[in-house]
Parts: sequence; structure tokens; C-alpha cells
Amino acid sequence: MMTIHEFQEKLLSEAVNANFKEAEIFYKKTESFQCMIFEGEIDTYETSEEGGLGFRGLYNGKMGYAYTEKIEEASIPFLIESAIANADVLDEDDGSDIFEGNDSYNGHGFYSEELANVPTSEKIELIKSIEKKVLAYDPRIVTVNYCVLQEFNEDRIMANNKGLSLNERKNGILIFVSAVVKEGDEMKTGMVFEMTRDYKSLDADRIAEEVAEEALSNLGEKSIPTKKYPVIMRHDAAASLLATFTAIFSAENTQKDQSLLKGKVGTEIASSVFTLIDDPFHPESIMGSNFDGEGVATKKQTIVSNGKLQTLLHNRKTAKKDGVETTGHAHKKSYKGTLSVAPINLYIAPGAKSKQELVESVEEGVLITDLAGLHSGASTISGDFSVAATGFYIKDGKVASPVKQMTIAGNYYDYMKNIVETASDLEFAPGGYGSPSLLVKELSVTVD
Amino acid sequence: MIKQSIIENVIEAALSTGGDFAEVFVEDRYANTLALQDNKIEKSISGRDFGIGIRIFSGLQNVYTYTTDFSEEGLVKAAKKAALAIKDGGNGTIHPLQKEIIQPIHTISQLPQTVKHAQRAAVMKKANDIARNYDERIRQVGLRYIDEEQNVLIANSEGKFVEDTRVHSRLAIQATASDGVELQTGFYGPGAHAGFEFIENLDLDHYAGEAARIAVTMLEADECPSGKFPVIIDNEFGGVIFHEACGHGLEATSVAKNNSVFANRIGEKVAPDIVTYIDDGTLPNEWGSLNIDDEGEKTRKNILIEDGILKGYLIDKFNARRMNAEATGSSRRESYRFNLTSRMTNTYIAPGKSKPEDIIASTENGIYAKYMGGGSVNPATGDYNFAVSEAYLVKNGKIDRPVRGATLIGNGAKTLQLVDMVGNNLAHGAGMCGSISGSLPVNVGQPMIRVSEITVGGTKGE
Repeated sequence: MMTIHEFQEKLLSEAVNANFKEAEIFYKKTESFQCMIFEGEIDTYETSEEGGLGFRGLYNGKMGYAYTEKIEEASIPFLIESAIANADVLDEDDGSDIFEGNDSYNGHGFYSEELANVPTSEKIELIKSIEKKVLAYDPRIVTVNYCVLQEFNEDRIMANNKGLSLNERKNGILIFVSAVVKEGDEMKTGMVFEMTRDYKSLDADRIAEEVAEEALSNLGEKSIPTKKYPVIMRHDAAASLLATFTAIFSAENTQKDQSLLKGKVGTEIASSVFTLIDDPFHPESIMGSNFDGEGVATKKQTIVSNGKLQTLLHNRKTAKKDGVETTGHAHKKSYKGTLSVAPINLYIAPGAKSKQELVESVEEGVLITDLAGLHSGASTISGDFSVAATGFYIKDGKVASPVKQMTIAGNYYDYMKNIVETASDLEFAPGGYGSPSLLVKELSVTVD
Repeated sequence: MIKQSIIENVIEAALSTGGDFAEVFVEDRYANTLALQDNKIEKSISGRDFGIGIRIFSGLQNVYTYTTDFSEEGLVKAAKKAALAIKDGGNGTIHPLQKEIIQPIHTISQLPQTVKHAQRAAVMKKANDIARNYDERIRQVGLRYIDEEQNVLIANSEGKFVEDTRVHSRLAIQATASDGVELQTGFYGPGAHAGFEFIENLDLDHYAGEAARIAVTMLEADECPSGKFPVIIDNEFGGVIFHEACGHGLEATSVAKNNSVFANRIGEKVAPDIVTYIDDGTLPNEWGSLNIDDEGEKTRKNILIEDGILKGYLIDKFNARRMNAEATGSSRRESYRFNLTSRMTNTYIAPGKSKPEDIIASTENGIYAKYMGGGSVNPATGDYNFAVSEAYLVKNGKIDRPVRGATLIGNGAKTLQLVDMVGNNLAHGAGMCGSISGSLPVNVGQPMIRVSEITVGGTKGE
């Protein structure tokens, strides 16, 4: 087999011979380990080693893309012919080009040697002990339906014939535990995701307690009247709603009439407590990168400052179209994708009060702890959402009881304007989205 | 794709620590994706996935590894490394591989690799024009054309050695309408287990026209009221409600560990007599169909609920061990990157006797869900949610004003009991289903049905 270096050299030189004016490769290699525990035993044990290469090149002024997972000489003509066909079918030269690179990059580290050196057996013991502790926590816990540990280790290489040559190594560990609780006929679940590069932060007692408490707190549900309520979105629910609507901040979408933020830079789009930041180096998130999908150096940026839209998210193509500088948000999900626009670690800035203080400020309202059906019940184009929710009834400044299955409905553009307060409890969800808990003036709540 | 002798060596390495079953899955997939927006083909990418998954069982231990290293040395190394995870293995027997030739039930006439991009682009532009010409309020049309040829080789220590080619083609159409203030969308995404012949013969006037019509209708729609209503769910993609509310709860993925409300209830009455629920991977060229599943077993028609009685589950080889049952040809995975589990193929409610017009005429005050969006379910509790992409109020037996923002919530097992009318107009719709073995093409289907009460979440309040 050819080494990736040999393959890359040969491909870039063959591309030039085939009349590509500019050419670039993106290579990603991932090693992973995953283990699921059920009733004290290893239920599934998975390992992997995979790699793939994406090629793109400027052919007759148009950008052609192709990829392969078969790193062998015979793949070179396949990539070149496919990329030519993919360039030819495009309707116009859209101004895409390949970037020669910045003078300097932030040398932030995304790899922990310490994590890499933890033996597999120790990780298995950790996840087994979490299951055991959850089951022992309370007799109402009937089963742990998911108890998974996942670890990844990834290397990324970008190189082109304009002199760019970048690489980055990243690792991380993820724990996902879900418990089922039962009392009488009532059955509820509660789950916890943890994603970190700091292995020492994974405390089995703490995680087990969180999962168990999350599930148990949902027991004893009551119905409340269907109407509009003030809503506290807990940090994780607020982060998942932000993740769903992040597309509205993309210049790619404003340029195609797919976002109502078109023409809104410099104007008030949210309440004055709403500040939105993208920080590729945030220590609390395991996502991040020193360069974007085009090789542009990334940096911390304020997208919305006290309600005012400062900038949209751009890659080089959308920036050129809008006559601005790229913000370093070219996004390439994998070697299989074309370029799009996406944030890296997007979060809503925290405020001063605790979540508890927010609860105490609400006379009657709802605390939302989980949302479901965001992939179908939310339209990033209209901003409308109507999604299933789990949460609690707040009465006289206190969390009174869990509520039967609910939906919450509203419009994200209005929601940003109706945020009354942001709490201090900023946390990042897997995927690189973060939020503190938010107090929202009102949302339509329907109760089953 | 990979020589038989290499596969034999990999199976031997996989069982070297005493596992009792080993399987090799080789996948070679060519895929094309084209996107049109702003009247232009603006994205086009194609490529090849190639990887190998190796699975080892020892009793109830399930070890899985996958790699893109296709050299014999790399594969044997991966198998040996995975085998080290087997604890207290016994003595696995290896049967000599017997090459099995399958008779394809889904014939493909134009493989994607024989089709030129210009042919794909021509269809996309035609669909774009139809949607744009539907109404002047159509502001944007986005189209995605996806096709793929997936070649698989499945071999195991029981002597199985079988190869198959699966071909999928889909055209997803999204129209955006605007009145200058608001934006609303309409979507239609027909797909099939077929080649370019499916796309070429699509009734674009219908599909692109419907996407545009939904977007414009939703622009004119009122806010949806909240509360409990009888809900009429139309045929075709409407079947997504039972896919979520009931189908996932019948997969061994959740049944085997008693994490489903339907676990241990075979023979019990779980639905009214008028409900028969079927999963059938053999329907010719349907989006969720397969010749063989990803364990190499022939797909079949599995009756899950018959006249309201729970008859069966969807079971894969591994969960079959836990459940002490037979596998049902339902084992699926998105790619070699995913370990296998039981999944749906084409799942549908069998047609009943009611005429659609009679169902509407007999509903006094309710909601008519003409097109459903997606949804999700918590399989442990059965709590589900769905978005309705095109909904109407029903008043005095007649379809009234369109409403938007309707979300249906409830509990699958309970909703199933409340089906009170089943129409005679069965149809199937294409969708993508996500679960622990990845995202897969599945059909959902049903005739028009009515549920006597579902909680509808909307923005308008009661």
C-alpha cells in the first residue's frame, strides 16, 4: 500500500497534469474504541481504524470534488476523472478558489497524551462502575438502557499546490448513560452525556448520581393547563435549540434567502442580554481547531454583542460575495463533503445569576430540561419550532413537579428577542454548542 | 472484492481466541450527490467508500472492529486484535465457505455509474422549473440528487459467502415560499431501491408541484390550535407515526433487553382488530427493500401485528441469542462503520375498509395531517413526537383552514389502541431512519387512518 504522503504527492502532481489550476487534499484518519455495558458485562466492544481522502481542484474555473477511502494508486485516476465530471456539471464559476494559507496559526493543542495513555481496561472498569452505581442508587431504577464509553483519536491533514500544509491531532472521550426508572405504571428515562479530554474529570460517583437524579426527578408527573408560560430553558436544552438554529447565522443561507438575518448586520436582532461568541479554543469544549475547512486561521469572535448582530459566519466564497473578510468558518464535515459554513464552538455568553435565582424569579412557569424532535419540528428557514419537551412546573419561585409530555412552540427570531436573563451555568453540549440556562419571556406550552 | 482465501484467514484469526461465530462484511460503495439552488447546480461530489467490518460472538459477547486497511496483513491484524477482547472463549467451529448466488428480486436497469451528470442535472432543472412556476411566491428551490451503488460481500464461520449489489436513487425537493415577511417551506423526497430509471420516470409535475403547493399553503395557514383532537393522518408518509410510535419498539434492539413496552407480549392484544402491521423487505424496488439483509439472510415479509394481536419482532442474529428466537432477515447497518442490529425495511399498516372521504365526513372537530414531517421516539417509554408539515382543521366532516406548527405527541402503545378507522388507500413513502446502526433508507406506509385522540401542540393555544 502507498503511504498517504506518497499518495498525496502523486495526486497533486497528476491533478496539475490533468489541467487543474489549483488542487488540494484533505485527509482524515480516525482510531476509535467504543464499549457498551449491560448488566455488568461488556455487551459490545468495538474498535476501528479508518482513513479517507477528499480531493478538490479548480478546473476551468470551477471547483470539482471527489473522495476515496481506498488509498491505492488506482484511486488517483478515479479521483481526477470524478472531480472533472463534478466541476463540469456546475453551472458557473462561483468564485471559489484554494487558499495559500495564513502567515501564522494559533498553536492550540487538542490532544491529551494523558488521555491516550489511560489503559483500555481502566476505561472499561470506569464505565462498568458507572452502571453498577446507577443501579444501586435507588430501587426505582429498573435498568440502565445505554451505558456507553467512546474514545477517538483523529489526525487531519490539509495540503495544496499553493503551499498550504497543515495538520492537527485531536482526541477525546465520551460517556453516554441513560437510566430507566419506574414507579407504579409510570416509566421515565434520564440521560447524561459527558465529553472531555480530561480523563481525571470523569468521576463515576458524580456521573452515576447525575444520571439517577435526572431520571428520578422525572417521576411523579402532573398535567398543567395548556397556555403560554414564562420558560427557563436549562443550559443543555438551550444549547440544543441553538445548535438547531445555528444555520440562520450562516452567510451561505442569507445569500440564498434561507435566513431572515439577511441585511441585518449592525442591527438589533436579540435582547440586550444575548451575546453569542464563537471560540475555537474554548477550554470547556473538546471541539475546536486552529484552521478551518479552507485552511484559514481561526479566531475567537463575537457574532452577536448585547443583541446586535456583529457579523454573519463566512467562508472565503461567501465573504467575497458580501465584500467582507472570511471569518474562518469554512466547514468540511469530513473528506466526503463539499465546503459549507458552520461555527466551531458557538455559545451564548453567561450572565451573573445562578439557575436557581432564575427559578426564584418566576412566579408561574416551566423549566425545560430536554427537547426531542428538533430535526423535524424546527424550521431554520422560518424560525418556527414546535417540539416535544421534558420539564418541570415552576410555582412561586420553586420547582413544583415534573410535567407530563409537553410541546413548546415559538419562533427562534422572537425567542432571541424575548430572552430576559442568562444564568451563569454555561456548559457545552457534544458538538460544540454551549449555553447557560435562559429565562424566556413566554412560549406556547401544550401538555399531553 | 476481496479474495475468498483472505476472508478465510480473517475468519480464522477472528476465532483464534475461542469465539463461536465470526463474520466479515466488505463494502465498496460509489455515491454521487448533486445540489441545486438559486437555479444552479452548485454542488457536486462523488466518491468511493471502501471498508471491512469484522464481528465476533462468544455467547453474549459481541465484538466488532472495522478498518479501511484492505491488505491481508492489516485485516488479519485487525481480526486478531478484536479477538483479544473475547473472554473465556470456547472452541468455535469454522465451516468451509459455500458461495451462494442470490436471485435479485429488485432489478436495476441503469446503474448510477453508467449515468452522466448531465442526465441528473437535466432532471433537477426540470423539477426546479416546475416548482418555481407553480406560484410567484416561490422564492427558492433546493434540490438534492443522491444515488449510490453499494456492493457488499458477507461471509461467516457458518459457511456463508454471498455478494449483493444495492442501488438507491433519490430526489429531494424543497421549495421556499415568501410573502415578503415570512418564509415557509414544502418538501417531497421520492426514492427507490433502483437506478436512474426510477428518477427518469418520476412524475416531476406531481412531486415538485406538491413541494411548492405545501410551501404556499403554509404561507396562508393559521397558527395551529393546541389540545386533544381526533387526528386523521393521510396515507403514504403518514405511516411515519407508526414507524416511531410502534415500529422502533418492535425491534430486537430494544425488545431483547426488555427496554420496550412491547417486550414479552407476543400473543397479546396491543391494537384494535382493524390494525395489521407489517414489515416487508421484499416489496419490489421499494426504498427500504433489500435482496438480503446485512447478515446475508434473505429479506421477508414479517407480520408484526395481525388483527390487533402482537405476532412478532424484528430480530438480528445477535439479539436472537438473547431472545432465544430466530433472526428475521432484518439486520441492517448504514455502512461497515456500524455494528449490526435489527431494523425496519418497508413497514406499513395493511389497508382496511373505510373510504378516505368517509373518514373525513365522520369527523366533527379534528385535525387532518395531510403530510407528516419526521419525528422521534423514546423506545423505553414509547413517548413520541412528530411534526406535521401540512395540516388542516376538520370541521363538521369537512376539511377547513390550513394550520401550521402542529406537533403531535403521545405514547405509542396508547395511540395504537386509539386507531378507530383504517382506510383502503395504502401507499408508501420514503424516509431516512436513524438508530444505533446508523441512518438507513426505510419506507413508511399506511392507508389514511384516524386516531380518536392525540395531543396536538401548536402556537395558538386552546
